[in-house]
Amino acid sequence: MSRFDPRGEVNRALLVGVSEYDHTAPDPQGVTGQLPAVRHNRRTLEDALHRGNVFGAHEVRALASPTPDEFTGALRRACQDARGLLLLYFAGHAVTSTSGNELHLQLRTARVLTGDGLPGSVSFSEVLGELVESRAQQVVVILDCCYAGNAAEIWHRFDDPKRKKHKVLLLMSVQPNRCILGGDADAPTPFTRELVHVLDEGGEVWLSELYAAVKQRMAEAKYKAEDDDSQRPQALAPPWDPDTDVLLAAGPVIDHPDPRVGLPQRMLHRARKALERLGRTGLAMLLALLATGAGGYGVLVLTGDSGPCAPALELRLLTDPDLEQAMRAAADAYVASDANTTKNGCRRSGVTVYSAGAASVVTALGKRTDAWQQPRDDDNPQRDIGPQPDVWIPGTGADVRRVVAAQEDRFFARLYPDTGPFAYSPVVLAVPEGLDDAVKPTGQSLSQLVTGLEQAPGEAEVHRPDPEFADAALLATTGLYRGGADASGAEQHLTRSGRPEPSAARLLCTLPDADAVDDRSAALVPEFLLRSGVGCHPATRAPRSAVYPDDVPGLEPTFVRVRWEDGERDADARDAEVDRFRSWLTGDEGRGVLGEQGFRSAHGERRLLAAKSAPEGLIDEVRPAGSADPAEMDEALERYGNAHGPGRVLFLLDSSGSMAGLWDGPSGGPGILKQTLTGLGGEDEYGVWAVHGLKGRTHTDLLGFGTHARREAEQALDAARVRDAEADPSAALRDALAFMRERGADDERPQLIVYLTDGEDDNRLTGDALERVIDRARTAGVPMTMVTLKNGACDRDRPGTRIAEAGRGRCLDAGDDLVPALRDEVARTGTGEE
Amino acid sequence: MARRLTAAALTLLSLLTFTACTDGDAQQQPTGTDPSPRIVVASGQDVTGKNGIRQQLIDAWNAKEGEHGYRARLVELPGSADQQRSQLLGALQSGSAEYDVVNLDVTWIPEFADAGLIRSLSDTAVKDPEDLIKSVDSTSYWDGKRYAVPFNSDAGLLYYRKDHLVKASASRTDLGEDVSWDELRELLGPLDDAGIKDYEAIWTTQLAPYEGRTVNAIEAFASAVPGFRITDDDGQYVATEEQLTAGVSELRERTASPYTLDGTSEFREAESLSAFAEGRTTFLRHWPYVYPTLHETFGDSLGVARLPGKSVLGGQNLAVTSSTSEQRAAKAAELIAFLTDPDSERCLLRAGFAATRTSAYQQPGTAPECGHAPAYAEGPSASPGGESTARLAPDRMADGTSYSRDILLPALSEAVHRPRTPLYGAVTHTITTELDALYGPPKGPGGSRPGDAEVAKSLDEALKEILPG
Repeated sequence: MSRFDPRGEVNRALLVGVSEYDHTAPDPQGVTGQLPAVRHNRRTLEDALHRGNVFGAHEVRALASPTPDEFTGALRRACQDARGLLLLYFAGHAVTSTSGNELHLQLRTARVLTGDGLPGSVSFSEVLGELVESRAQQVVVILDCCYAGNAAEIWHRFDDPKRKKHKVLLLMSVQPNRCILGGDADAPTPFTRELVHVLDEGGEVWLSELYAAVKQRMAEAKYKAEDDDSQRPQALAPPWDPDTDVLLAAGPVIDHPDPRVGLPQRMLHRARKALERLGRTGLAMLLALLATGAGGYGVLVLTGDSGPCAPALELRLLTDPDLEQAMRAAADAYVASDANTTKNGCRRSGVTVYSAGAASVVTALGKRTDAWQQPRDDDNPQRDIGPQPDVWIPGTGADVRRVVAAQEDRFFARLYPDTGPFAYSPVVLAVPEGLDDAVKPTGQSLSQLVTGLEQAPGEAEVHRPDPEFADAALLATTGLYRGGADASGAEQHLTRSGRPEPSAARLLCTLPDADAVDDRSAALVPEFLLRSGVGCHPATRAPRSAVYPDDVPGLEPTFVRVRWEDGERDADARDAEVDRFRSWLTGDEGRGVLGEQGFRSAHGERRLLAAKSAPEGLIDEVRPAGSADPAEMDEALERYGNAHGPGRVLFLLDSSGSMAGLWDGPSGGPGILKQTLTGLGGEDEYGVWAVHGLKGRTHTDLLGFGTHARREAEQALDAARVRDAEADPSAALRDALAFMRERGADDERPQLIVYLTDGEDDNRLTGDALERVIDRARTAGVPMTMVTLKNGACDRDRPGTRIAEAGRGRCLDAGDDLVPALRDEVARTGTGEE
Repeated sequence: MARRLTAAALTLLSLLTFTACTDGDAQQQPTGTDPSPRIVVASGQDVTGKNGIRQQLIDAWNAKEGEHGYRARLVELPGSADQQRSQLLGALQSGSAEYDVVNLDVTWIPEFADAGLIRSLSDTAVKDPEDLIKSVDSTSYWDGKRYAVPFNSDAGLLYYRKDHLVKASASRTDLGEDVSWDELRELLGPLDDAGIKDYEAIWTTQLAPYEGRTVNAIEAFASAVPGFRITDDDGQYVATEEQLTAGVSELRERTASPYTLDGTSEFREAESLSAFAEGRTTFLRHWPYVYPTLHETFGDSLGVARLPGKSVLGGQNLAVTSSTSEQRAAKAAELIAFLTDPDSERCLLRAGFAATRTSAYQQPGTAPECGHAPAYAEGPSASPGGESTARLAPDRMADGTSYSRDILLPALSEAVHRPRTPLYGAVTHTITTELDALYGPPKGPGGSRPGDAEVAKSLDEALKEILPG
C-alpha cells in the first residue's frame, strides 16, 4: 500500500449510528439505554464528510438505528460499489463475548440473553469478513462504542491467507476492554466530536494525522472511560509509515469557532481577569464549576500553569557535518512556521539540529545502538555523537543501506527512510579563477580533472575534507578510487597538509588563511556551499567556479525517521510531529529554504530550487552521476584508511601529583585517553608513557609501544596511578619526538603524539626548555596534539598553542569540546576498529 | 453504552497489572556488569575542567551504600547545552533512554516541571533547606512546588587587571562593590594613553547569538529597571515596552564602541576569556569558574569584583524523573540529598564551583573541609610531592577581602533570574534574534541600526507573541 488519495475514485462511506433501541433497561434483556448523542454523531460526521471533498454527494450514506438485516444489506452494497475508499463508521452499544475474543456491535433490535445469546447484534469478525472481500482498494473502519479497541485483536487473529485484511485500517474510540459513557444528549460523543473537529479543520486530513490529532485533543480534554480511566483512542496499526496513509478529507480551510475550547476559553479569559486576586486555587475551583456547567467537556485543558500551550515536543535531528548549517536554517524556519503552530498560537514541536562524523554515525546506528540507549563507561554515544536522533538526514540514502548491512542481530533503533532524497547538490571541484581554464566544467572524470589541474601552470593544489567525516568527501573519494586505481597513488594527487578538515565548510573557511594557497587551491565540496556561503571570511575568499566531475555521485539528503526501542511513551504524537516536519521540509516552504541554501531539485534536470538561471560559476542543469553505492562507499572508506597504512600514536599522560583531582572517571586523564582507543585498530601501533619525575627518566611505560588488543590498553590505563612527583614536560616531549621520528623514518604511516596534562608544570615549559621542544616539533614531522584540562591553555602564546602550531597538530583545552575533538585526532591517525 | 456481559476483562486486567509489575525496576542490564540496582544520573559533560568532583561525590555515595546497595552511575551528555537539553527532553518525553536523576540548567526547570517530566520533591531530597542561598534555591521551584535541589550555582563577575589600572594611574586599583559602569567608561582615556602592550579596549563579554547574549541582555535590563521581570511567577508576560526601551538603552550603552572590544559580538565564553587572558582588555564579565585559571595567569595583578548593577544567576539543579519507579525515585531523592549536602557543597566550592549553601562560605581565608571527595580533602596527605592536590586559587585577596565570602556569596545572593517560564527556549531564542538589531550585520540604509525604542518595540511584540499574559 502507498499513500492513497481516493479523490476521483468511486468511494463509499457508510455511517451507522444506533441511537434508538427497541429494548432498554429496565427490560432485563435490553441495553442500558438510548443514545441520543449518537444522533448528533451521524449528522455532524455526514456533514463533515460532505465538506471534506473526498466523498461525492451520493457516496455518503447514513443509516439511522438500523436492524441487523438493514445493516448487513447496506454493508454488502457498499462493499460491492466501492472501488477506491470504503469507510465504515459505527456508533452504538457493543459488548464483548465471554472469552473477550469477539466484539458484538448491537443494532436496533439488540437483546442480551442468558448464556451467549445476542440477537440483534452483528459480530465484528463477520463485518471484517465482508470488508476484506470488498472491491475497494482501501477500507477504513471507525468504531465509537464500548470495547472498540478489542477490534484490533480480532483483526490480528483474522484468518487471512491472502493478506487481504491489510487493506483494512481501524480507528477505535477507546482502548481494549474499556467501556465508554454515552455522552451528552445535546452533542456528539467525545470521540466523534473530536474526529469531526479535526476532519473539519480544512486542508488535507490524512488518517495518520487524524488519529494523532484526535488522540492529542482527547488527552488534552481528559475525557474519561469507565473506572475513571482516561479514554484513549486507538488505531491499527501505528506507527504510521508515511508512505502508507489514506486521505480522508480535503476541505476548504475555514475559520470556525472551536466548539470545544472556544466558549470556555473566552469565559476563562474573563474569569482570569476577574479572579486574579483569588490566585490559582480560586481559578481551579471556577474551572471545576465551569466544567460541570459545560457538561464535563474540554475546559480542563486550560488549567495548565502557563496558559493554554502544552510543552512542545522535542525532535532531535542528526545530520552530516556539511549539511548542518542548511538543516539548521530549515529547522529554524519550520519551528516558527504556521505548520508548526496550533490555532492557539502554540508551537507543536522544537527541532534541535546537530551533526557528527558520518562514518561514526553509520557505525553507531549499525552496531552501537545498545550503548547509545544505555551508555557504558567505555562506550557512550550519547556524549560522543550526540542525542539519540528522532530524525537522521544523512548526505545520501546509501548511508541507510550501509547501516542496515552493518546491523547486528540485536539493535535498538529502527530506521524508516523515505524512498528518495528531498534535495540534490552535486559534489564539485571548486576551482579558483585563473585555474578554471585548465579544466572543462563538465564531461570529465574526477581523476581527469585532478590530472588536468596538475598539468596547469602554477602549483595547483587539490584539497578534500576528511572522508571519514563528511559524505561529500567520501563520495569524491569513491570517484577518485574508481576503476581500480591504487588508493595510495590516488591520494598522492591530493594536498595533504597536516590533517584533513572535518567538513567542506571548514575547508573553505581555512583555505583563505593563506592568500597564496587560496588562490591556487581547488576544493572538493558540495556545490550548495558555493552559493550559501560558509559564514567566514566572506570578503577574502578567492572566487571559485564549479567544475562537475561526471563520476562522483552528488549529495542526496534523505529524510530518515529513527524509532528507538521503548521510545513509545509518545510514539503517536512523535510520529505525527516528525511527519509534519517532513511534509513541510519536502513541501514548498521547505524547498524554499533549501533553495536559498543553494540546493537543487532531487529529480529531473536537477535545477537550482531558488534561481531561474544559475549564478555565475555554476551551471543550470546537472546530469547526476548515478547514485551513491553503499558497498563502494564502505570500500572507499576502508581503502582510504589503509592508503597511508596503519598509524602510530604515542600518548603522554601527565601523572604528576597535581593530576589527582583530574584522574578518576571518564573525564579524568586516563578515562579521556581510553575513549580515544576506538580510533585505533589491531594494526595500529601505539603506547602510553606516564610523565613524571624531574631527574633521570622523566617518563615510564604504562603501555609498551606496539600493536594491542583494545582490552589490554584499557587495562593498562585502568591501572595507571598518580605519582607522588612533579613532571618535566619539556624533556618528556623531546624524548617523544625523537622516539617517533625514529619510527617514522622509513615509511609514510600517519603518526601522532598526544600530550595530556593539567598544565601545572607549564612553568617548566618556558624559555629555552620551550624553544627546544618547539624547534624539534617543527622538524620532526610528527603532529602533536596538546591537551590541557583547564581553561585558557590554548590562548595565544601559551606553551600548548605554540607547540601544537609548530608540530602542525591541535591544541585543546577545557574550553573545547575536548573528548570528541581528541578522539577525532586519534581516529584520523589510526585505522579504527574493525 | 452497555456494560459488558462477563468479567472476562478482569482476568485481562489482572494480567496487565502483573505485567506492569515486572518492568520498572528490572531494567535490562548489559551482561557482565554487577547486578546492583542502578540509579542513572544524566549530566552534561563538564567543560570547566572540574570533571572529577561530580564523579567523586557519586563514588562517595556508592561507597556509603555498600556492596549490596544501589549504585549511582553518571551518564555524561554532550558538552553543548543545546544538545543536552534536546536529549533530556527527547528521551524523557519518548522513553528512548532511561534516566533517574537529571542535572538541569536552572532555566530548564519550569519547562521540565510543566511538561511533567520531573517529579515534585519532598523534604527528604534536601538536607537543611534553610542553609541554601535563597535566590539560588528559588530556581528549584515551579508552581509553588520544589522540583529540584541546587547542585552548583553561578553568577556573573567582573574580572580586571590591577596592573592596567596602575599604569593608567586610576584613582583606585582595588574595586569594591560600588564600582559603576560610568566609572569604567571614565577609564577610556587614561587606559588608551597608558601605552599598555596588547591593550585594545576597556572590556569584553559574551554577545554572540547564543545564551550568553541573553544573559548579558538580562543583566543590562535588570540594572536599568528596578524589579524588572519579563515573566511573573506563573510565566505570564509582564514587561512593558517602556521597560524594554530602558533596558535596550542600557545594554547598547555598556556594549558600545570604543569601550567594548571589537569582535565581542561574536564572542562566547571561550573567546572572551582568551581576549582578556591575552591582555586585550582591562575588564571581563565572566563566571566564577575562570577565577583559578585567571589567577594562575595573572597572580596578584588579577582583581575580581561583583558585576556593576545586576548579575544573572546560572548553575544547575538535580531533579528526579517522572518515568522512574517509586522505589527508585525514593532512592534517587536520597542520592540528591547527599550530592547537595553541606559537605558536598564544600567539596564543590573547593573544586572551583560556586557552592549553593551559605555554610560553605563560612570560613573566609581557609579552604572549607570536604569529606566526601578525598582528592579535594584538605591536608598534604594526598600528595607529599610538593604540588597541591587540586588547583585552588587563594580565597584571601591582597586587600584582605575573601573572594568566596565577600564577592561570590553576595553576587549569588543578589543575582537575578532569567525569565522563569516553560517556554524559556523560545524566549531566549527571541531575545538573541531580536538583539541582532544591535549585534548582527546592520540592516538599515548606509549600515545604520534602529533606535532603542524601535528595537524594544519589536522585542516586545515578539515576546508577546510567544508568551501568555
